[in-house]
Amino acid sequence: MVKWGVAHIYASHNNIIITLTDITGAETLAKCSGGMVVKADKDEGSPYAAMRAAERIAEAAKEKGINQIFVKVRAPGGNKSHSPGPGAQAAIRALSRSGLRIGRIEDVTPIPHDGTKKKGGRRGRRV
Amino acid sequence: MHYIKVPKERLAVVIGRKGSVKKEIEERTGVRLYIDSKDGDISIDESEAEDPMGGLKAFNIVRAVGRGFSPEKAMRLIDDDVFLEVIDIREFAGKRKNSVRRVRGRLIGTKGKTRRLIEELSGADVSVYGNTVSIIGDFLEIDIARNAVTMLLSGSEHSTVYHYLERRRMDIKIAEMGVYYEEKEPEEKTDGGSE
Repeated sequence: MVKWGVAHIYASHNNIIITLTDITGAETLAKCSGGMVVKADKDEGSPYAAMRAAERIAEAAKEKGINQIFVKVRAPGGNKSHSPGPGAQAAIRALSRSGLRIGRIEDVTPIPHDGTKKKGGRRGRRV
Repeated sequence: MHYIKVPKERLAVVIGRKGSVKKEIEERTGVRLYIDSKDGDISIDESEAEDPMGGLKAFNIVRAVGRGFSPEKAMRLIDDDVFLEVIDIREFAGKRKNSVRRVRGRLIGTKGKTRRLIEELSGADVSVYGNTVSIIGDFLEIDIARNAVTMLLSGSEHSTVYHYLERRRMDIKIAEMGVYYEEKEPEEKTDGGSE
């Protein structure tokens, strides 16, 4: 039996959050983030953390009987980075390796039609 | 489907001699590329690709070539652990053409010295093209090269950046020994316990 789900992957440079929902997107079935799978804060956004998180999601998906998933990848977007961090690719790969069939992969990064000013001020971030 | 626009002068490189580069991308990722050679729009059709990552990889390869990399270097992105990072110079230097030009010169250095050093010491490939700096490398390489580039962009002196690159070489060595993740976690734990 084919049962679809959606994996929402939010991959920033510093973290990754994967949420598994049904196809309506309204019902969350499982979620996992970088901080739940690694110890060091700086590793939360690494491909390794993404892999571990995706494996957990895949396990939960199988438990719920989901065997095919759509993937929605997202970067912070808005006035922040528009390209997903390195974790996104690793997460998708891990999902497909763990036996889930991947349907469509979509980029759902929110792109402003000209929005607000980027943080940091005129003189940039001063460290 | 993914869509991407490449600069006109890079379009010929994406296609290659008699379509050789286009063909190679299509063969290695399993996608179909539709190139509009009038305005540089490229659509990537991944519906027939067996590898679910094929579409994303093709997208990144085309983007890398469009950002000034040679097709040979861009093909590194076929590897699962290799990523592409594109940094906008204007975010640091402002929108003025002359200041972008100046910063670009700082990144490249005399006869390409700075760029070469960043590439050699971090292991990543770096391309400075138009308003962007692009980096191809694995997670650690990108991290090091990105930090070096942002330091230069935000005004650090070259010697500072070279020192930084030298310092980070230890991390590369540790990662090469294959103990990158296994070793680090317990280490982190003992740190927390002693505090």
